[in-house]
Amino acid sequence: MTHTEGSQRLVLDHSPGLEGLARDLPLQQALAKHGEAELIHANIPYYRGVFNEILDKLEQKSPLVEGGEAGCIYIGAGGLQLIYPDDNALTDAVRDVVAEFEPQMGIAGNKFLASLAAQQSPPGDCKILNGDAGAFLKDLACDVLPVSLKSRNKLRDFGLATLGQIAALQPGPFQSQFGPEGKRIWELSRGIDSTPLYPRFMEEAIEASTTLPSVTVSLDAILFAVESVLAGIFAGKALKGRGIRRLTLWTRSWNAETWERSINFKEPAMDVRSTITRIKRTLENYPQPGPVEQAGIKITGLGYPGGRQRSLFSDIRAKEHLAEDIKQLELKLGNPQVYTVKEVEPWSRIPERRYALAPTNR
Amino acid sequence: MVEDTGKALRPGTYKPVNTPEELKVEEDAEGLPVTVKGKRRQAVISIEDRWRIDDEWWRAAPVSRLYYNVLLASGQRAVLYKDLISNKWYEQEY
Repeated sequence: MTHTEGSQRLVLDHSPGLEGLARDLPLQQALAKHGEAELIHANIPYYRGVFNEILDKLEQKSPLVEGGEAGCIYIGAGGLQLIYPDDNALTDAVRDVVAEFEPQMGIAGNKFLASLAAQQSPPGDCKILNGDAGAFLKDLACDVLPVSLKSRNKLRDFGLATLGQIAALQPGPFQSQFGPEGKRIWELSRGIDSTPLYPRFMEEAIEASTTLPSVTVSLDAILFAVESVLAGIFAGKALKGRGIRRLTLWTRSWNAETWERSINFKEPAMDVRSTITRIKRTLENYPQPGPVEQAGIKITGLGYPGGRQRSLFSDIRAKEHLAEDIKQLELKLGNPQVYTVKEVEPWSRIPERRYALAPTNR
Repeated sequence: MVEDTGKALRPGTYKPVNTPEELKVEEDAEGLPVTVKGKRRQAVISIEDRWRIDDEWWRAAPVSRLYYNVLLASGQRAVLYKDLISNKWYEQEY
């Protein structure tokens, strides 16, 4: 299975029997080893859609669900004893949601241990990790650590092959060799992982799509279809007078391959014309993988036009502009970018509990 | 095509402020700080103030700290504390 990164095609996954292949190996090198292999191009947007659908269903089983990288989900089970009296009840509930797959499940005290337990559990089954984590971890290879490639190579250079070897070292010297990541590596090797579960961030979205009258490669026909979808959105009530700040344009070709591109608007696009100009440029710059049969739009960023006119209430205007600029920055870069110091427990005798940095726009 | 749910995955949004920074401190026989080794090693000229905090004793990780407001050889003032549970020293604005 291959995926594209920039202009390069890389290996994403492979059948168990094929030796010498690894994730992100250039396709040319992989074909040199296994020229007879049948290639399938990964349909990432489709996988993400399926993954999000599973996350939606799991959120009905537990309020604390975190989607890690595709295929890996963490579920918080704390406080759910009345709903799931034992581990079997919880795993059965999860199995119901992902019945079409055979999930490997792991139950443990933290995310790192749970993911390792899941990796070791047989498909469709669950491994529960109780008691001494050290004994479970000590013979595992360092490759299981979710750390940077640089640190992984460095561990190899130091001759540290198993987690047990790291756990036997003193944290101080280890940290001085590996820097800030050293502390995390050392803690993980002892089964300590204090990272909390990050539930998903809810965002308003407007979606619409259309099926083309016939499968086509004509850019004009695709553009016409997208324009009709856009016109429907602008004519409807969902926008509520707001403009489009970010949209994802997707198409599906006749062989079920999905093409997807995100477009950010500096100023909210308030009509079909200003939106379609950008969409046209994107369609021209990024060719379709094949003849298109379906096209759609997902709008995730909604906002009011900024307007830079002067106002009697200059302070209020300045705040609005700042908030808009921050929102734009976050749409481009993702994740909160600007934080404000907020009082949390200003009366606390413990200094680090008094204030926290909260995203400015939330 | 499976419909996208319109939800994005985001990491945690809140960040702590004024977290204590571990540093090396040499103590005298009574356990009082004598030298502080942060970016460079500095002697403690005087201890201006001292107070103790015991809190969250009902939790799994209780807080027990002995704070010192000290004057260093460079003339700089610093607030240090000794964690009475781990016996480690930290610097923290109070």
